[in-house]
Amino acid sequence: MNFEAKRCGVQFSPPSIVLIYENKSTNKLRKRIIPVRKYSKDSDYRKAAETLKNHPRHRDYLQSVSQSQLERLHIILRDHMQGLSLEQSLASFRLDPEQDLNKLDDDELARKKGKMDELFEKNRKRKDDPDFVYDVEVEFSANNQEKCSWDEESDDGF
Amino acid sequence: MAREGSTHPDLDPAKYDAAEAVKIICLGDSAVGKSKLMERFLLDEYRPQQMSTYALTLYKHKATVGNKTVAVDFWDTAGQERFQSMHPSYYYKAHACIMVFDIQRKITYKNLSMWYKELREYRPEIPCCVVANKIDADMKATQRSFNFAKKHDLPSYFVSAADGTNVVKMFRDTIRRAVEYKQNPTDFMDEVLQELEVKVYSSNVA
Ligand SMILES: Nc1nc2c(ncn2[C@@H]2O[C@H](COP(=O)(O)OP(=O)(O)OP(=O)(O)O)[C@@H](O)[C@H]2O)c(=O)[nH]1
Ligand SMILES: [Mg+2]
Repeated sequence: MNFEAKRCGVQFSPPSIVLIYENKSTNKLRKRIIPVRKYSKDSDYRKAAETLKNHPRHRDYLQSVSQSQLERLHIILRDHMQGLSLEQSLASFRLDPEQDLNKLDDDELARKKGKMDELFEKNRKRKDDPDFVYDVEVEFSANNQEKCSWDEESDDGF
Repeated sequence: MAREGSTHPDLDPAKYDAAEAVKIICLGDSAVGKSKLMERFLLDEYRPQQMSTYALTLYKHKATVGNKTVAVDFWDTAGQERFQSMHPSYYYKAHACIMVFDIQRKITYKNLSMWYKELREYRPEIPCCVVANKIDADMKATQRSFNFAKKHDLPSYFVSAADGTNVVKMFRDTIRRAVEYKQNPTDFMDEVLQELEVKVYSSNVA
């Protein structure tokens, strides 16, 4: 059976993951609501996401949903249980290119990385892809390179 | 740091004295993609060891350089500031360094000068390269010339841990340079450090 996830989100009561997917053999869009059980404001979102991803009843549907996306959805559910608003919760994922991420604690950093994972997973070439090449070498010629604006301020070491 | 009994056996720096073992460190800000690059190079060939007290993941790898097999330990460090006190143990006896920034975040490029300065305090001479990661996110970045590498006369690479561009090449070059450096080292820092440790140790005993 082949399912392609189209969108996924959460529902707060009862806490659930909502999945819109296409059934590849019928080309029909379907919605699946997966209740998240035994999950509380103190639960480990990583474990919960992993358990769900491998759940025998759901794993076929979740195959094209990455682990890190499931983690993110679990974080949002947990934030809600801890009393955060959806807006606050979403803001914690937002990337600000100016922000110094070295100063964040583990949880805050995991949220930023979770957000970065969206693009990473999209552009990712996997080992089991049929066209996977291990050693990809591309030369970027130095000839037509422009000076980088990041170099403009002249501070020490640059 | 290097005294017997105080160190996890895998972190015992003495093992890097063996001719066919090198230590390569990977540095840079949080979330620039150091760990993803390691994983892309090694695929799932080796199970890494998490050393959480050292804020570090250790990857073991066997490489072939010329006709020799070399045991490579990659020290994948964490960029977070709260682990700064661990840095000296990263640099100690390292044979090469990979410095990574994220082409989408200027601050990670600007911080290279900090990482580099610290590296050179401990390891004035080891081979080092500059890695511009995440080019898949913005291919235009490869048309920009980042001056930092040029200024310090370091090789640089445009890479993507996501699609694999130039990752294997960068690691292979670095391993080769680490081995060459090891055969012909010019850093005297380790000896000085070692002497200091012996002194500290004996004064503790006395
Ligand atoms: N688009 C894209 N994203 C990447 C690439 N490499 C890493 N990322 C993203 O950047 C995030 C952080 O990567 P990590 O490898 O965890 O970064 P790190 O440098 O090891 O960070 P610390 O260990 O916290 O210092 C990942 O979760 C990915 O989403 C890449 O080549 N392209
Ligand atoms: Mg890392």
